[in-house]
Amino acid sequence: MSNTPLMRRGAALAAALMSASLVLTACGGDGDDTGDKAAGTRSDKAGEPHSVKAENGTIEVPADPKRIVTIGNTNLPFIDLGGKPVGVTEASESELNVLPEEQRTAYEAAEIIGNSGGEVDLEKLAALKPDLILVQFSSDDWDKVGKQLEAIAPTVSWGLDTEWKAFADAIAEAGNTADALSRQKAEFKEKVAKIQKTYGKIINDTSFVDVSRGDWSDPGTFYIADIGCSEIARDDIGLDLPEAAEGKDPLAYESLPFEQISELSKYDVITYPVDADGKPTEPFKSVVATNTWKALPAVGSDRALGVFCPGNNSYGPVIRYLDSLDSALATLPGKQ
Amino acid sequence: MTALALRQDGPGTEAVPGPRRRLLGLVVALVVLVVLLVLSVMIGSTAIAPSVVWDALFHSSADVDQFAIRDFRLPRTIVGLVVGVALGLSGALIQALTRNPLADPGLLGVHAGASFAVTVAVGLLGVRDIQGYMWFAFAGALIVTLLVLALGSTRQGHSPLVMVLAGVCVGAVLGGAREALQLTDPDAFDAMRNWNAGSIAGRPLEVVWPILPFFAVALILAFAVSGPLNALALGDELAVAQGVRLVRTRVLAVTALALLAGGATAIAGPIGFVGLMVPHVARWIVGPHQRWIFAYSILLAPSLLLVSDILGRIVMRPGEIPVGIVTAFVGAPVLVALVRRKKSSGL
Repeated sequence: MSNTPLMRRGAALAAALMSASLVLTACGGDGDDTGDKAAGTRSDKAGEPHSVKAENGTIEVPADPKRIVTIGNTNLPFIDLGGKPVGVTEASESELNVLPEEQRTAYEAAEIIGNSGGEVDLEKLAALKPDLILVQFSSDDWDKVGKQLEAIAPTVSWGLDTEWKAFADAIAEAGNTADALSRQKAEFKEKVAKIQKTYGKIINDTSFVDVSRGDWSDPGTFYIADIGCSEIARDDIGLDLPEAAEGKDPLAYESLPFEQISELSKYDVITYPVDADGKPTEPFKSVVATNTWKALPAVGSDRALGVFCPGNNSYGPVIRYLDSLDSALATLPGKQ
Repeated sequence: MTALALRQDGPGTEAVPGPRRRLLGLVVALVVLVVLLVLSVMIGSTAIAPSVVWDALFHSSADVDQFAIRDFRLPRTIVGLVVGVALGLSGALIQALTRNPLADPGLLGVHAGASFAVTVAVGLLGVRDIQGYMWFAFAGALIVTLLVLALGSTRQGHSPLVMVLAGVCVGAVLGGAREALQLTDPDAFDAMRNWNAGSIAGRPLEVVWPILPFFAVALILAFAVSGPLNALALGDELAVAQGVRLVRTRVLAVTALALLAGGATAIAGPIGFVGLMVPHVARWIVGPHQRWIFAYSILLAPSLLLVSDILGRIVMRPGEIPVGIVTAFVGAPVLVALVRRKKSSGL
């Protein structure tokens, strides 16, 4: 089926009118109080704008944005930097459960404007009158709503492949939270240095493997984690952890059948995911329940370490991960 | 000496083997199955020496590799055996019942019922482990099959054609409802991905033992109706003339196949082609004798399932392909080749 030129012009006119109405709504005077609960105060004067480089180009953003909406993976990293968004997209319950209290409060104070990146309620978003929108989602999602978002407020978008430290830098620059970022960076650096100094001998002489299982994992399968927190342990701390060959998919993308638990015998130390209370995460319980796991040399000699990884997309959760790793490594004999 | 009997049930006259040759074939099928059972325990995504496998089975110790054999490969092999037997026999039953050589238990809505029930369990009730949702699958399969049986009842009794149409319709409705639920809950879709593909990996024996009594009942029912089903192949009127009670035969056959296919689907998820292809091959070998078809299907179906599962373990090392995908890859071309033969089996 093909559209006639008249129909296409009609569709274009309708889209233009819709965009214009969204812009007018965004720029309009004070309406109802929707979304104001998180913002507290609203600056009428956003200050001198400055440029931020992002996936969608060089964007002019206000110097001191007051009404920020975060979409996709920008929600929690922005809140981690002390940000208080007026609108957010839904985060999963498992993500919210591991947030510090004040961050959860900040998240819950914001208006939910959609359940995922590409499914944003644009009218609701426009009604929040944002002065800045921070976005991280797939390019497909950007193609769906990117232009409409840019019509509502300055929008800064990053792709999913943005490295986490660069992502934190970029969010802090756009969201005007550079002070918080500096503090987090200093703390991160300090913790890394402390772990490297305290466990230098273990780091040099020990082979590690990080294994995991997710809610999404097929029954009877697990995977070797070489991305996320494991990547930080390998690249920043220097633990000898397995890594995919250059140009290959991460090892974590390959589901391994449970019978390959026996292959973990070759590693000196195994790390596995635990919750904040130190118990194996729900999906990983089926692994630790197997006799094969219990018979592993590392497990039998208390060299299977549960490590809590609340997230790996911003400094706050990474610092908590380093604390957990520090505590776990402290149980090993022969440190330094 | 090989005895041959003439068969006149299809478009052409075909020679079918006599009882001694059928028995010999059955012994060969049994040997093949035993060999595959051994291979299934020996071969996996991890290389484990045969001596370790032997020790794991007969001189057990706390060795890690021995646990891998006893914890994973042995249960997986037993699951493959049980599910294969159930799929093969249920396929033979549905083909005999509907007098359709291309019938499959899915035609009566068994898979659709099980899948819908699992989607409800996972998506709405938050059930995440297989021990939890297998009962939903079993109940879903049984309820839908009974519903199809009821819908297939006409004033003239149970019509196989009406039953199949009812099964297709109910299956389509439940398939749509299942997809709607999964679209609104991507997490449920994710959790069901492996189950939907059909797999015997990661199933502990605890999911098999509770289903076994149902399979035993179904096995008895299936062989009890094998004689009347032979007569049914000649048509309802001739079957009645031979003293067959049509309604009772069909109800018992449907009950048996629902228990078998429902139980197999509950354990492993929907696995296609085994229930369709194996009885077809069995009939091609032994001719239109239901008891022999059942016996051959019971031995050949687990063989097909196990060989597919072994292939799935080794072709993408260190990962695996679910057996349901391999049976489709292996089964489809083989079935096409078989049905294109001049001597393709009819009913």
